[in-house]
Amino acid sequence: MLHPGSLNESKPTRGRTRRSISVLTVAGVLALLAAACGSSSPKSSNSGQGTTPSAQHPVTITFANWADAETATRPGIEATISQFEATHPGIKVVSQPISFTDIGHTLILRQQSGNPPDVAELSGNDTFAVAATGALAPLDSYLKSGVYNAKALSEGTYKGQVVALPWNSNPPGLWYNKTLMTQAGLDPNSPPATITQLMTDLATIKAKEPGVLPLGIDTTNRSFALAVDWPWMKTFGATPFSGSNATANTPQMQAFLGFMQTLAQKGYITANHKIGYYRPLAAQNKVAFVWDQPVLQGVVQSTNHETDAQFFANWGVTTLPTGPAGQASTVDEGHQLVIFNHSAQKKADWEFINWLASDPSAVTGYTIKYESSLPTLANPSPQIQSQINTPILQAFTNKILPTVIQLPYGPNFSSAYTPIMAGVQSAVTSSTSPASIAANIQSGLQNAFK
Amino acid sequence: MKPRRSPWFDWMVLPTIVILAFVIGYPIVRTFVLSTQNYKVLSGLPATGVGFSNYQQLYHDPVFWQSLRNTAVYTFGSVVVAVIIGLALALLTEHMAGPWRYIRTVLLTPWAVPLIVVAFLFRYMFDQDSGVVNALLRDLGLIHSNVHWLTSSTWAMPTVMLANIWTAVPFFFLVFTASLTSVPTDVVEAARVDRAGTWSMIGRIKLPYLLGPAMIAVLIMVINNFNDFAKIWAMTQGGPAYSTTTLVVYVYQLAFSSFNMGYASAIGVVWLLLLMIFAVFYVRLLQRASR
Repeated sequence: MLHPGSLNESKPTRGRTRRSISVLTVAGVLALLAAACGSSSPKSSNSGQGTTPSAQHPVTITFANWADAETATRPGIEATISQFEATHPGIKVVSQPISFTDIGHTLILRQQSGNPPDVAELSGNDTFAVAATGALAPLDSYLKSGVYNAKALSEGTYKGQVVALPWNSNPPGLWYNKTLMTQAGLDPNSPPATITQLMTDLATIKAKEPGVLPLGIDTTNRSFALAVDWPWMKTFGATPFSGSNATANTPQMQAFLGFMQTLAQKGYITANHKIGYYRPLAAQNKVAFVWDQPVLQGVVQSTNHETDAQFFANWGVTTLPTGPAGQASTVDEGHQLVIFNHSAQKKADWEFINWLASDPSAVTGYTIKYESSLPTLANPSPQIQSQINTPILQAFTNKILPTVIQLPYGPNFSSAYTPIMAGVQSAVTSSTSPASIAANIQSGLQNAFK
Repeated sequence: MKPRRSPWFDWMVLPTIVILAFVIGYPIVRTFVLSTQNYKVLSGLPATGVGFSNYQQLYHDPVFWQSLRNTAVYTFGSVVVAVIIGLALALLTEHMAGPWRYIRTVLLTPWAVPLIVVAFLFRYMFDQDSGVVNALLRDLGLIHSNVHWLTSSTWAMPTVMLANIWTAVPFFFLVFTASLTSVPTDVVEAARVDRAGTWSMIGRIKLPYLLGPAMIAVLIMVINNFNDFAKIWAMTQGGPAYSTTTLVVYVYQLAFSSFNMGYASAIGVVWLLLLMIFAVFYVRLLQRASR
């Protein structure tokens, strides 16, 4: 009788093939089974409110945020969290630092894998991208009327429900360095009000201050850059998309791209840099104009240790210069606080985020002190009022905030920013004609919206 | 006498097969399944089958073709230059003795530097405003205005490739140095007796011995470059525009910025097929070398 082993030895090739097929079949079946078990549907939500936290029933909140990931704000947020824990003995907060650029997609992936935090700090399109996955708990039932600014609340509203509590207002404005303007022979009290005046001022700075970058503007390929560049497009009358319609191949968009190309070709801007790149330059008086948020003040002062008086003497801020469209605009890229559906202790979550955004000690001790940004309260206390009574924050409150427009945030914005910002980068780094770039953006958007 | 085989032993590989099926098989099958679906995470809708329409979209997507071209330039351009430099350094240092032999150690150090450190190192060195490269070129009078190394569509790819070449050269240097020691001394002596010149010695005697190891090293490095994400992402994030967007960067952008998993998976499948071609060549070469 032939032993199977000896049969294999007598027919080695056939035996090997048979074994290989068996092994591959087993592996394939296992892989298919695993793939079939893989779920693409979002995880079920937990709508439980949780028990009321107390010293007897302490709860722990996980708080994903970028404040704890940045050098300038880390001491502030850590102190603020400690202060909250001291005044709320039943709640412990575990901070999870994630960089600003990564927090949106990190939280979407964590939601998809069933491991979101309880609470997170989000901003701009990231809020709406996370909300689109159904991950965020509505906050309407917790909100008391009259506490928060209605406009700021509307910026955290998705499909008719408030899903994000406004923590602060952070619209970009046109910062101008008065010292550099004076040195270049420009009037430091007359910042450019139109695109034409801006170009004249940039030319003067370039000619008179060779070591100074005339203008800092974010041209990176990320959703934040599209958001802060959107007002510049709008000043030329351009709206690259609306809903799921690509509207980038227009004379207005070509005019904007041509403007950006001119800025780069004349050496007025540098390409592919984040907004944060210009802040250390600002601290060294190496950039004359910057399109940046109120937080610029905090970063500059934490870098060069200027006093408030010195900073206000050196810097001013105004609205975006108007272009052919005739109106200045900006976007509020304020920081927002969200609660995930997944959280089992939403009462404690709400207590924490509401305290962060509205408690006078948190607002003055962190929002204004470390973020240098505006609170979102409808009726700020006198203590808060006195702290925001600075030339910079008053300019943001009275001149810039009224020009805020709402952007078409959501899944389409997530798909659109790469083709649009790639086009902007193409304009500022090549001599390709604006018409050709606009056509490429158009086809890229059409492809992205399929 | 041959040892008796027992079929029972064949089943001993089962745990390995199960692990491989989950670790390698599952992602591959899942990627292929996703590539035939319309699955946009942010839509909040479940995945729906769309057949091969993602592949049709890919055929008409200019960014896909540009990223494929960039991948080829980055992969093969880096390898060709690194092979030439690695070979030259191996030949130059072949007969170094005494304290000079430590030069070989120095030449190997770039290989020990983590990729992400290399990326940031080159990013700072090639910064247009504060980078040491522009400062040096200006001091030497070679340039009058700063070159936009990483922020110009023309220079970004060569600069990223330079960083990659810097890390790849030690690998080829090591392979060629090791291979040179395997050239039989009697063959070299015979060539010397026949008064072979330096170039003849390199071209006709040494290079044929280096060819086999070189082919394997080239394929390893091609596969490595094909998958390289960290250096490109840390240096340029695929920009400016799409000038340094390779397939792996494009897949990342589609999957983790737009969350268009179906389309990203279709590109992932094409990427996998291309990688498999290299892998087949690699395995064949290894089999031939072991015979």
